[in-house]
Amino acid sequence: MSHQYQAIGWNRQKRVYDLVVLAGVMLYIALFIGLGALLFPYATAETLIIRAAGSAAFLLLHVVLCIGPLCRLDSRFLPLLYNRRHLGVVTFLLGAVHGIFAIIQFHSLGDKNPLVSLLTSNQNFGSLPDFPFQQLGFLALVILFLMAATSHDFWLRNLTPPIWKTLHMLVYVAYALLIGHVTLGLLQSETSPVLVLATGGGLVTVLSLHLAAGSRERVVDLEKLTSVGKGFVDAGSVESIPEKCAAVVSVSGERVAIFKFDGKISAISNVCRHQNGPLGEGKIIDGCVTCPWHGYQYLPETGASPPPFTEKVSTFHTQIVNGRVWIDPKPNPPGTRVEPSRIPDAGVRV
Amino acid sequence: MIQPLRKTHRRIFLALALLLPALFLSGIAFRHSWPAPARSQKSAAHRLPSGTTP
Repeated sequence: MSHQYQAIGWNRQKRVYDLVVLAGVMLYIALFIGLGALLFPYATAETLIIRAAGSAAFLLLHVVLCIGPLCRLDSRFLPLLYNRRHLGVVTFLLGAVHGIFAIIQFHSLGDKNPLVSLLTSNQNFGSLPDFPFQQLGFLALVILFLMAATSHDFWLRNLTPPIWKTLHMLVYVAYALLIGHVTLGLLQSETSPVLVLATGGGLVTVLSLHLAAGSRERVVDLEKLTSVGKGFVDAGSVESIPEKCAAVVSVSGERVAIFKFDGKISAISNVCRHQNGPLGEGKIIDGCVTCPWHGYQYLPETGASPPPFTEKVSTFHTQIVNGRVWIDPKPNPPGTRVEPSRIPDAGVRV
Repeated sequence: MIQPLRKTHRRIFLALALLLPALFLSGIAFRHSWPAPARSQKSAAHRLPSGTTP
């Protein structure tokens, strides 16, 4: 949780995550350059660096893009999501190394400014095999730079979550540009079927995971709840909610997380104020609803973060009737205290 | 607040699921067929040690 500005709020999990990422990237680059030098002795050091950094960035972007839908489909992947932003920054840095070395190697020896040369030397937009693929890579790198530069919570707060999210959804544009960059660049000169299969396999994996996760989310959004009297809607049985966990229902177009804890039921918005994380997939830890993404916490009765933190989410009135939870679809202003509904003893009707 | 984002995300991926495979397959289908380096049987035979099969 962010109380005051910190460059990075380091903790053990973040350190371990970053060390694993760093070690993995270093190992990949060392293996790529080492094996490349052995198998292709005519390749220059610059070429090996360009290809090692570029392929590492492309591979890492696939990992970054798969983490989100994997977490929606299986909560065991949640630890990968915790520090995904650092993974994104590493992807940009590798892409920048690839881009800088490529510009030096291919565009710095003429009399034109290297960037001008990059953007103007090939204008063959009408031909697929001769398409100016380097410009696609450059545009993708600009997008990745914008995302890496604004990845800190400071920018999330200042740009506001909707603008920040929209900006970071540009990653899909960057991915499309990079598929074009690789297909119309590397795969035009390197005809190895392994490269074609690897690129195609990565594309199919990213697309299928996102489509599968999206279709699953849509089912939850379209679920209709029964409504009777005073507008309360039936949100399911008390028994179906595990202790200190939540059931998530969709009411009035938004999701509500209904938590069961210590013989009580409370309902709050399912959307974490930090990065729109799904609070209903978190647990109650130390009396607080804890977001599964980055650990932001809220009191279930008020929807407010415990002091000194200031985040607040909406609360909802609940009732328990005949062992079922009924919920008022009208949200209370964020931070409004709502007394939790007490779960009556088994067999007693309220 | 978040449902429109989910809807946008779904639409983006539906569009990408159509666009990217088409781009990828066209890129592969229309790539240059680079001529294989000319190599006469004689020169190939010259490079192989006697008694080995290519």
